[in-house]
Amino acid sequence: MKRWFPVALAVLAAGLALYPLQATGYGIRVMLQLFMWIALAQSWNLISGLTGYVSFGHVVFFGTGAYASSILIVMLGWAWPLACLGGGVVAAGLAFLIGWPCLRLKGPYFAIATLGLNEVMRVVVSYYEGLTGGGNGLSLPTLDASVEIYYAMGLVAAAVTAVTYVIVTSRFGLRLMTIREDEVAAEAMGIDTLRYKLYAFLLSAAAPGIVGGLSARDQGYIEPLSVFPLIMTITMIVMALFGGKGTIWGPVLGAAVLFAFQEVVWARFIYLHQLLFGAIIVGVVLLMPRGILGVLQQKYNLPRTI
Amino acid sequence: MAPILEIRSVVKRFGGVAAVNGVSLALEPGRIYGLIGPNGSGKTTLFNCITGVDQADEGEILFKGRRIDGLKPHQIFHLGMGRTFQVIRVFPELTALENLLVVTTAGYAEAERRARELLALVKLERLAGEFAGNLSYGQQKLVEFIRVLMTDPEMILLDEPAAGVNRTLLNELLDAVRRLRDQGKTVLLVEHDMKVVMGLCETVFVLDHGEKLAEGAPGVIQADERVIEAYFGR
Amino acid sequence: MGVLITPSMIGQVVISGLLAGSLYAMVALGLGLIFGVMRVLNVAHGPLLMMGAYTTFGLFQWIGLNPYLSLLVSMPLLFLVGVALQRFLVRRVVDAPELSSLLLTFGVSIALVNLAQLAFTSDLRSVEYLTGSFVVGPFAISKPRLATCGFAIAITLGAFVFLRSTRLGKAIRAVSQSREVAQVCGIDVQRIHLITFGLGSALAAAGGSLVAVMVAIQPEMGQVYTFKSFLVIVLGGAGNYPGALLGGLLLGLVEQMASLFLTSQVNEAVAYVLLVVVLLIRPTGLLKGRV
Repeated sequence: MKRWFPVALAVLAAGLALYPLQATGYGIRVMLQLFMWIALAQSWNLISGLTGYVSFGHVVFFGTGAYASSILIVMLGWAWPLACLGGGVVAAGLAFLIGWPCLRLKGPYFAIATLGLNEVMRVVVSYYEGLTGGGNGLSLPTLDASVEIYYAMGLVAAAVTAVTYVIVTSRFGLRLMTIREDEVAAEAMGIDTLRYKLYAFLLSAAAPGIVGGLSARDQGYIEPLSVFPLIMTITMIVMALFGGKGTIWGPVLGAAVLFAFQEVVWARFIYLHQLLFGAIIVGVVLLMPRGILGVLQQKYNLPRTI
Repeated sequence: MAPILEIRSVVKRFGGVAAVNGVSLALEPGRIYGLIGPNGSGKTTLFNCITGVDQADEGEILFKGRRIDGLKPHQIFHLGMGRTFQVIRVFPELTALENLLVVTTAGYAEAERRARELLALVKLERLAGEFAGNLSYGQQKLVEFIRVLMTDPEMILLDEPAAGVNRTLLNELLDAVRRLRDQGKTVLLVEHDMKVVMGLCETVFVLDHGEKLAEGAPGVIQADERVIEAYFGR
Repeated sequence: MGVLITPSMIGQVVISGLLAGSLYAMVALGLGLIFGVMRVLNVAHGPLLMMGAYTTFGLFQWIGLNPYLSLLVSMPLLFLVGVALQRFLVRRVVDAPELSSLLLTFGVSIALVNLAQLAFTSDLRSVEYLTGSFVVGPFAISKPRLATCGFAIAITLGAFVFLRSTRLGKAIRAVSQSREVAQVCGIDVQRIHLITFGLGSALAAAGGSLVAVMVAIQPEMGQVYTFKSFLVIVLGGAGNYPGALLGGLLLGLVEQMASLFLTSQVNEAVAYVLLVVVLLIRPTGLLKGRV
């Protein structure tokens, strides 16, 4: 098992790196989106899968990153790679602002607190119209950089997965998991749960922020409705749950499977999207709460590094 | 000798009821203390106030001369006080070894060494890699017990250590507690099993309806009429 | 904002606040009951409210039924829906970690919203039944708001009487205090769970039917009520049913007061800010509760 996996991974990485050389514009866009979903699902997993603190408003970091980086590009003339990183930083900052008060709540309460987040951000965006263009949206200078953004997204997806690997195999990760297992005991054993939750939350916001910026750059135009859609949070959650929350490769698997599913089904059943996802969530919670990889992990006693 | 733990007129209310109503205790270091009382006497609440799980409404709690009421549990832990729980709270999805590793902030190598040492102490070394959730009740109880010892705390609070434990394991635990006392540690346990309390503790506190009813050596307490009445009278 | 705040404006705010708050209190009570009895945070609470609103709309549209009479339909109907949800879905996760019931009700909520979109499309609907205001001295009291408040108070009081005086109500309170003890006393806890979920849903539906007359009806209308109900529970203390009443009124007042100084858009953020502030100061709620 251990032998061929890194090799297979390297081959896959090489393949993906060479892909743009002979793919169509559409093909690049598709893969670029897949990378984005992997990064998003993986990020959601960092907070919700590891600590058990479910974030129902995670798309807020995507949208914030989109706006922050777009504003940096439009108003300050920053180059997009730097601007997107800036988006990630701003998103992490927002995570701190929200997390500092709200992570003191017990898990389920925190989750509902995150429900209202989306609305607030939309209000904030509308309020600061001068900066954000309000309901009219924000247009970015035309740029055809799909290939570069493809690589950037791929890098972010890989980075988040790598970070997850490092965390899960470290004591930091173990301590995050104790919060999920038994927060009272964790506190009693000297773990400053608020601090750890905050770290995880900040980490989980950075990638969506960057990816939001990249996505905005790619689209060339953003508006509140396009970057704060509830369906995005839902999709992140379904992907991570389905593949296996709390695992390393689960979100990747979930993203890949459900993205493929979405591409195939989307065209025909747009109007059933949310319903299907809702059904999948209910199904996963009732039938395989640990997701596909979680089930395999249990059945075949696989190590945690799956 | 200065007391290691002092509880001064602590009051804790839930709704209109005072679960703990003006309790004062002083514990000398290096002894084993017992806290007993009928159901609802406030033992667990007092325990929770000491360890920071609940906040006392009135009164002070001092550990090594320093006020700890108002501190969070993890802060109290790092001052040198550890506790176990009435209902076992190991981390089920972590292995036995990992359960111990998360506790200490020492370097990984040193932490692992100490963890394996403690596991060997209770003869669980071969289960180090087993998920704690898969262990038997008794084994989990032992893991929780040694987990508390990972950082070598000066004071240990045990919440019903004898609950659901068979005789052999119980004797092992009690021996371990006596060895801890010999090392100079202070132990306070809440317990229902009278035989355990009387056989192990040097001083016993009795709570009834949130107040301290009596305090003294086991033999004295056993003969105290008020204590007998509290348990059996009403 | 150089607006002079007159006493009559304050009075207006207080009145509007109490009117709105009574609705929040009733809906929040529904959420609070479900949480108190089953420890389940029902994310689908808002969508249930939305279904009540659509029921009223549908009946008004097709048979011209008085919206306030439609309460007699929407409440029992959603009671049954709630019971079904509990029986087939929620029951399986009541004893699982709270995370599971949270995700489950979340899944249900998005499914319900989508169903509404399929049935009614996302077009905004409305029930034009009662409009205008009574003018009493310097105050304008919106007619639909007054009616809503009246019904909300009546229903909420009814709920409290039920909880206090009937055997079933006492059983519900018993289970919410301690399931084990209730079982030992011979209470059929499963049955109580079913009834409570139904009751909570019915209260949400009542809220929906009442607001149907006042606001635009659309599939996502419920989400803000889930959040606000939760906020009310935090304000009043979880498990503290009378606290929900006070919490609801407080929320109503704060919102109306904020509207004096802020534009209506920003008003939506007020509830959120209030939540954050309360959490920072008193995470266990303003009144004593069992979080």
